[in-house]
Amino acid sequence: MSGIRVAMHKAYGEKQKIISMPPPKRVYIPLSQHTGKPAIAIVAAGDTVQKGQLIGRADGKISANVFSSVFGRVIEIIDFAATDGKRPHIVIESDGEEDGGKAAGFLPLALDAEPAQIIARVREAGIVGMGGAGFPTAAKLESAGEIDTYIINGAECEPFVTCDHRIMLEYTEEFLSGSRLLQRAVNAKKLIVAVEENKKNAIEKIRDVIEREGYDIKVLTLPSRYPQGAEKQLIYTATRKKVAPGKFPSSVGVLVSNVHTALSTYLAVINGEPLYRRVMTVSGGGIQNPSNLWVPGGALFTDIIEFCGGYSGEETVKLIDGGPMTGTALEHTDYAAEKRVGLLALLTPEETHKKQPSPCIRCGKCARGCPMRLMPMYIDAYALTGDIAKAVRYGLRECIRCGCCAFNCPAKRPLVQSIRLAKKKDEAMRR
Amino acid sequence: MKTFTVSAAPFYRNRQNTTRKIMLDVLTALVPCFLAASLFFGYHVLINLVASMGACFGAELLMELAQKGFKKENVKNASCRDCSCLVTGALFALTMPSKIMVRGWDLNFYANGFRTGGGANAILFSFDTLIVCIIGSIFAIAVVKMLFGGIGKNFMNPAGAAHIFLLLCFSYTAVTAGAWGLSGTAGATWLSGDKATGNASLFLDMFLGNKGSASVGETSMIAILMGCAYLCFKRVIDVRIPLIGLGCFCLFIFIFDGMIARDLLGRVDTPARLFNNLFANLMTGGFIFGLVFMATDYSTTPNTFTGHLIFIAGYALLTALIRAFAAWPEGAFFAILLMNVATPLIDRYVIPKPFGYQKERKSGVRGAAKLGIRKEELGMKDKKSVSDTKQSTPSEIPHSSLLIPHSKDTGVAP
Repeated sequence: MSGIRVAMHKAYGEKQKIISMPPPKRVYIPLSQHTGKPAIAIVAAGDTVQKGQLIGRADGKISANVFSSVFGRVIEIIDFAATDGKRPHIVIESDGEEDGGKAAGFLPLALDAEPAQIIARVREAGIVGMGGAGFPTAAKLESAGEIDTYIINGAECEPFVTCDHRIMLEYTEEFLSGSRLLQRAVNAKKLIVAVEENKKNAIEKIRDVIEREGYDIKVLTLPSRYPQGAEKQLIYTATRKKVAPGKFPSSVGVLVSNVHTALSTYLAVINGEPLYRRVMTVSGGGIQNPSNLWVPGGALFTDIIEFCGGYSGEETVKLIDGGPMTGTALEHTDYAAEKRVGLLALLTPEETHKKQPSPCIRCGKCARGCPMRLMPMYIDAYALTGDIAKAVRYGLRECIRCGCCAFNCPAKRPLVQSIRLAKKKDEAMRR
Repeated sequence: MKTFTVSAAPFYRNRQNTTRKIMLDVLTALVPCFLAASLFFGYHVLINLVASMGACFGAELLMELAQKGFKKENVKNASCRDCSCLVTGALFALTMPSKIMVRGWDLNFYANGFRTGGGANAILFSFDTLIVCIIGSIFAIAVVKMLFGGIGKNFMNPAGAAHIFLLLCFSYTAVTAGAWGLSGTAGATWLSGDKATGNASLFLDMFLGNKGSASVGETSMIAILMGCAYLCFKRVIDVRIPLIGLGCFCLFIFIFDGMIARDLLGRVDTPARLFNNLFANLMTGGFIFGLVFMATDYSTTPNTFTGHLIFIAGYALLTALIRAFAAWPEGAFFAILLMNVATPLIDRYVIPKPFGYQKERKSGVRGAAKLGIRKEELGMKDKKSVSDTKQSTPSEIPHSSLLIPHSKDTGVAP
């Protein structure tokens, strides 16, 4: 695989134990925190809700249930800013009753549950791909067909993110059992846990547990390179199978799920806990106490930053939701935590870049770094002149938007930005 | 409320990698060449260097200001700050002889005075050389680079193009002999002589640089190789490119200059002579200089590795052909420029296949079929509208049908 070597900046959160964040006064739970149709609200203003209670029902197969993350009362359902525009959020005021009541949930199942039971539970619990894609896991499991290998993705190749690392260290048994449940759900023959080599202690811990329990799981050490955790690249490294452009991994008999998805599956099946919280890394030079937190769904970033000790003395120029290579820069902190977002990064000027773009010097470093073997310089050039057909010729549709090209570019051109623009135009033209 | 800067991903860039740093790396790699050149050809090389770099810098700044307007902020953000014009200047100075006498000018200082004559070798300070260097630099930057859109848009290597431009426009006598003049090749280059290959010490002199050479930069192979090693170490160039280029060149020179050319002359060479010829060809002339510093230039070479291989092979082939059969003793710069203009063509046809690409792509075929249906639908509508308007504008259709074969004809006829 090509790709790039990045300074990982994992030291911020690598050694921070996962702690639980108390529910804030108000949570803003988005009805759309997954790929597909938004959920339909089934509560109204004034209703009293329990922690773990269903408040949004999945609308169709490619959608996911949404649960309340606090005990309290629904204030209103409003259109509130999300990273991709205004979307309906359910606002719940917490009554501060944290440990008093028992969270609502499902009946626990056993580890040897039937595949259909597991998939049904994954659907009920509203589990989605927690690595960032947010695709409903149940839909993926149901449409999988015959699966040879199930890969659990613990690469965590984006800089700053450490939540998967900590899960692998602290919830080793749980996430491995969850992985086996996922494997069971699709009857996969092999189960591979793939971890990048920079997480040595996690690899050792996983090996220990596998040996102790006698699991039939292969632990794969991946080279520490970005984007090793991208689905197609990971499948190639693990199985030497290439997924054709425009195809899903199931076409080569492989499924990939994130470490956190496996953990959430375990919690849903064995503990009966629906997906209303997730582990999130708060990192970067701009935060006082970099941490890994169990964040209740819908907590505002303002509250999360406050819980982590507020801003550090250093100047914070960028607030990033979801990783410095592929995430979204936010203007302010009033956004709600979602299921799919595992990182909140507060970057200082040294950790980001401010250089203005200069003309392309045709050095070809973007093409050399591209894990999909495209030619970003031509896609960029044709996207800017509006010639989308030519941009497609140089691989526009195959782009995974990993950002390696822009990272490598000596002229600091905004390559990914123009590729995204061209992709939008291309989609509009095809419609 | 605290607010933050919003921009598009990725927010994280490689700081070690900027246009300016790349250009400074190339300039550093050229330092050994300059040291060797001034060692063997004297101080005038450094005078040429300063004149060329200054002229290139000034030409780029003036061209940009002329295009954008003479304002302070334009000077602040001028493109010449990325130092690429200095690389052009330095490369160009290395392609020039140390001192020249242009026919009819002779604005030179000799030991016994101004314009007193006495041959190129006796010149102390040469205005001829300076003027020609400045004209060449301005041509390189103003015409070859800036008129085509500046950095990254030039279709030819500016330094190589300026070298050829001067060669064609000015008739000059040049100092080709090294200052030390120890070896038997003094006075002429090996390539322009009878290509005799004698003793082993000749090869050592050729390797170190103590020999006659038409461009000061190509004299010392060891200096060029040091620069090459530095560029490879800094990852400015791909180490495979010069190695493969050398291999191709050996092959072609062995075939053309070694075997065929000698056979046509009716001389049967011993294997030892063939190998001597090969080594001497490698050690002299601009091929290796061009290979390291010009055939790896970013803007004027193909962007893919496969494309670059074709470029390098073509460069080696053309240089070997020119050396073996052409009227010029040396043709590395011609070969570079010819391959430069072939680069857009190579880039057009050599496109890497995306990761996971398979030949029989079902989705692709389906997508095309969908498009095809759409096109047919559109086409039918078009035909209807054409048939409706056919009678009103009868001249349109024959006119367009005439155009198509016409353009095809011009496309086919070379």
